[in-house]
Amino acid sequence: MSYPTVYPTGVTVYNPQKAWNGFTIFQAREVGAMLIDMNGTEVNLWQGLHGFPNKMLPGGYVFGHLGERNNNFGMQDQTDLVQVDWEGNVVWKFNQYEFIEDPGEEPQWMARQHHDYQRQGNPVGYYVPGMEPLVDKGNTLILCHKNVRNPKISDKLLLDDVIIEVDWEGNIVWEWACNEHFDEFGFDEAAKNILCRDPNMRSSGGGMGDWMHINSMSVLGPNRFYDAGDERFNPENIIIDGRETNIICIIEKKTGKIVWQLGPNYDSSEELKKIGWIIGQHHAHMIPKGLPGEGNILIFDNGGWAGYGAPNPASPTGAKNARRDYSRVLEIDPTTLKIVWQYTPAEAGFLMPTDAERFYSPYISSAQRLPNGNTLITEGSDGRIFEVTAEYELVWEYISPYKGEKMPTNMVYRAYRLPYEWVPQLERPVETAIEPVDVTTFRMPGAAPMGAKKTTTIEGTRPYQGDRALCVAAGDEAEE
Amino acid sequence: MSFTIYTATGCTRCKIIKQLMHERGIAFEEQDMKAEGKEAFQKFYAANRKAIFRGPDGVEFPLLHDTEAGNIHQGIGACVAYLYGGGKLDSFFSVGTLHKEWVDGIHVSGGNSEDAKGFLEVLRYIKKTNNMKLQLDTNGLNSAILEQILAEGLADVIIMNVLGPKELYSQILGKEVDTAEIEKSLSLVSKFPEYKFQTTVTPVVRGDGEIRYLTTKEVGGAAKLIAEATGSMKNPYLIKLFKPKECRDERFKDIEAMAADALLPYRTAARAHQVFVEIEKA
Repeated sequence: MSYPTVYPTGVTVYNPQKAWNGFTIFQAREVGAMLIDMNGTEVNLWQGLHGFPNKMLPGGYVFGHLGERNNNFGMQDQTDLVQVDWEGNVVWKFNQYEFIEDPGEEPQWMARQHHDYQRQGNPVGYYVPGMEPLVDKGNTLILCHKNVRNPKISDKLLLDDVIIEVDWEGNIVWEWACNEHFDEFGFDEAAKNILCRDPNMRSSGGGMGDWMHINSMSVLGPNRFYDAGDERFNPENIIIDGRETNIICIIEKKTGKIVWQLGPNYDSSEELKKIGWIIGQHHAHMIPKGLPGEGNILIFDNGGWAGYGAPNPASPTGAKNARRDYSRVLEIDPTTLKIVWQYTPAEAGFLMPTDAERFYSPYISSAQRLPNGNTLITEGSDGRIFEVTAEYELVWEYISPYKGEKMPTNMVYRAYRLPYEWVPQLERPVETAIEPVDVTTFRMPGAAPMGAKKTTTIEGTRPYQGDRALCVAAGDEAEE
Repeated sequence: MSFTIYTATGCTRCKIIKQLMHERGIAFEEQDMKAEGKEAFQKFYAANRKAIFRGPDGVEFPLLHDTEAGNIHQGIGACVAYLYGGGKLDSFFSVGTLHKEWVDGIHVSGGNSEDAKGFLEVLRYIKKTNNMKLQLDTNGLNSAILEQILAEGLADVIIMNVLGPKELYSQILGKEVDTAEIEKSLSLVSKFPEYKFQTTVTPVVRGDGEIRYLTTKEVGGAAKLIAEATGSMKNPYLIKLFKPKECRDERFKDIEAMAADALLPYRTAARAHQVFVEIEKA
């Protein structure tokens, strides 16, 4: 956030020695699925292929969607999920979840997919050594929408989140509907009250309550907790997070029941208080076995506004009653609930809390653990994708130059790094280091350099104090 | 005949039955289970537990006890039918589960077509005279009655249990059926203001004597039958689980229940012919 009027786009920082080098796939706003190398060279654009998100598969395949449902009738519903080859041929497609007849539109089958999906063979949809997603067979878990009524939640029409598992032929072989587990989420009476009155009503289709808004769904995969006998972490189980409720939870695949959960409240135990309020989070997933931090839960904790609960000055009704104007990436041990690693504005080098909003994406965004321990972070709202080491050093940064016309933003929902080997069609690119520019000397043409032409001294001036007496507590004072 | 009617204070359905008995000059004794008749009802209930249906919301009233004949009728539909038909219409009705102004447990295919006149009179009395709303069901038999119900607007909701594909219909029903009549009913049902088709994945005694559930292909065939008879692939259609414990047919009581997830491939098969098909949740 807080970009100046003029700023560079494309790759702005690149340290080939410290970065985990590969290609990066993301959805270029209103353009298509874009694959770039470490210097930002656009090596393939699947034009018009929507991506919510785009993900790559070994062999140069890319996942995406042929279209999106008319927003007048559907909220973020993708018409289908397709697997496309390097040349753009659709080699797999699923759309037969619901038959849709929207006014003025061609009646058609739709997947109503949104936010996530996972192909068998890989639990999270990104590169894990030894866990390659299948490309010519196997099942696919897909996060979809379905309109339902459930008076336990609200008398209003609800936009529910449904997870389906489809086989290679497109048969649905497993299904889980979020609204059917409302009683398991532990909402208190204050939350139930506002949920009933306003389940996050959106205008599409004449009004529907996007009450949970699941934005991430992945499989746990093999992990040390299950190996030690903890059944909650059965490798087949599924982890989801709900943006509107601040809930992160694990679904037992066998029964559909919730067996592990963070949220909706973060003040009910000392462990939770130490984590602090997770708000509007995205991409909560278990770091797969074989990657540094394996077994821990990696979360892009957006901040922004989310949750249901008691009214407060920032939320007169209790809707979106938790707020924070900066983001955090958290890595949490799911058994001790301790934060193992984090990247917040402080680790980014910003003064807390006064400059905290400089690491802030109130919606979308993600975090991917890389094999060398680095983390690829999508600070989505301003189209910033960057890679940091475990010690918080920035080793790669890319700003998307693709600003939409229909919606004027260069947002990137979620980006993924993939190994060069997954794209056998291309030679390994040349990797050219890009040193960070010294912004104190960088000037636009015509702008004067730093340095006073005349320096005037005044007798009796004293040294500056630092940041201990700003209008608001900041830095060390704020932490005390 | 000598009657005792067991009622509950404020029960509209009970008032309707009492009014009908007054109109017909039938003497009866009333026992209000929420007032002075509480003890009498408890005694009656204890003695006749097997004959009185108790649903998740308790006992449905009224209960009409013909003390001479020794039979009990429960719910508004069954009581009116008994008072109109003296037992001939019993199989058109069972105890319902709906509340307030809604009445269900009315089975168009349940009774003999020769008793159509009496059956229709009962429906008229409940719906037209007393402004109740009726949810009827059918399995396709008695299409002529259904046609009359449609013509007179005697049903607010109709549910058709499509037992299976055309070639299995007689086998599942246990008697020879003219499938043209089933097709006629399918077509009629789709003309009601509010309707739904449903198929229970039921066990079937196969030609080899073995009992096996309907297959996905066979349920797909049922969906196809609906499409062909109604000329539409867009009917509301529900596929339901068979519940062995609730089954009255002794042959099927010991069959293993299907898991709810097992309905998913049935939905896939049916979707080829009915695009709005849904499956029952466990």
